[in-house]
Amino acid sequence: MQKISGNMSEIFSKLNDLKNVFKFGEKIVPIIQSLIEFMKEIVPLIESINTSISESTAQMPKASNQINNVTTQTEMATTEILDIVDNITNQIMEIENIFNSFTDKQSRNDEIKSIILEKYGNDEFLIGLLKEYLSNNDYHAAFDKIREILSHTNNDIFQITLSLQVQDITTQQLAAVNHLIDSVNTKLTSLIKEIDQSDIREDMKTISIEAPVGANFDPNAKYDRSESRQQNVDEIVAQQKQQASQAEIDKLFS
Amino acid sequence: MELKFLVVDDSVTMRRIVINSLKNLGYNNYVEAADGADALSKLNADSSINFVITDWNMPVMSGLELTKSIRTAPNLEKLPILMVTTRGVKEDIVEALQARVNNYVIKPFTPQILKEKIESILATN
Repeated sequence: MQKISGNMSEIFSKLNDLKNVFKFGEKIVPIIQSLIEFMKEIVPLIESINTSISESTAQMPKASNQINNVTTQTEMATTEILDIVDNITNQIMEIENIFNSFTDKQSRNDEIKSIILEKYGNDEFLIGLLKEYLSNNDYHAAFDKIREILSHTNNDIFQITLSLQVQDITTQQLAAVNHLIDSVNTKLTSLIKEIDQSDIREDMKTISIEAPVGANFDPNAKYDRSESRQQNVDEIVAQQKQQASQAEIDKLFS
Repeated sequence: MELKFLVVDDSVTMRRIVINSLKNLGYNNYVEAADGADALSKLNADSSINFVITDWNMPVMSGLELTKSIRTAPNLEKLPILMVTTRGVKEDIVEALQARVNNYVIKPFTPQILKEKIESILATN
């Protein structure tokens, strides 16, 4: 009799445990239901995000190539400018050389004048003609002025050369942007693969959220210890973060 | 002793600008290299090079690695090195100095700065 009484009390204890489980179930089912509703609503959003990411990712290599093209073309244009600058510098040097040879001739003219003055200094008519001739052919002042202008021009051209350093700096900045695009591209590509390989869409199709009439629990509820759900949530969170980054990147190209 | 410069930069534009600046300062003897590895092979092939002007960011071998290689090479260790780079962060400058560059110029530079640094290095060497 005592044995039967012990068994009965154990049965009542287990029944009490079961009652607690059902009470807990009643509390937890609405939460699970809400979660499933949420998951079901989120699937089209995931699809939309996935499509958007796929499209953006497809554009990234193109953007990267365009940046490389810009860099190459800028370098070519800079080289052309430098070639032209070098040509102008060489031409200025040639002009300076021509003026220098004239300057040498002017010095010789002064020597000739001294010799003639010494030998024919009494012939006022001849000396007058000589002075007029030399005066008409005195280009010292003009040559000095032209040399000064050429020197300024040379300096200005050299400043253009120095300003072209911007090309190298821009190239490095573009390379940094390209690296950013490549990094984001790699991460998004991997994310798209993960979404495509996940079972989230199929899982949602099989889950019924319709509870039987009068029931306060979900007959389809199951104890699922797999990490896939949490992973899916994590992916969504990551996607949201990636979306923000994508917006920032889009700004670069707008 | 006539100076013979080795101008190291992966940018053709920058090499030309540095070389034009050197010419403008009266230095007409130079050779060029597109990266650190190219520079090392040129240094090993031409013992008359006695001054290196190098960029930092380059493919294959950076200017910093080039500096470290030069400083550990028995026949090159005392070669004057001037770093000309866009990297202006304090840590970078300290790192370059720890690698024993002789001086450091930030791009964009002016010929006057280049002249000052070259002369300063020559004076202390």
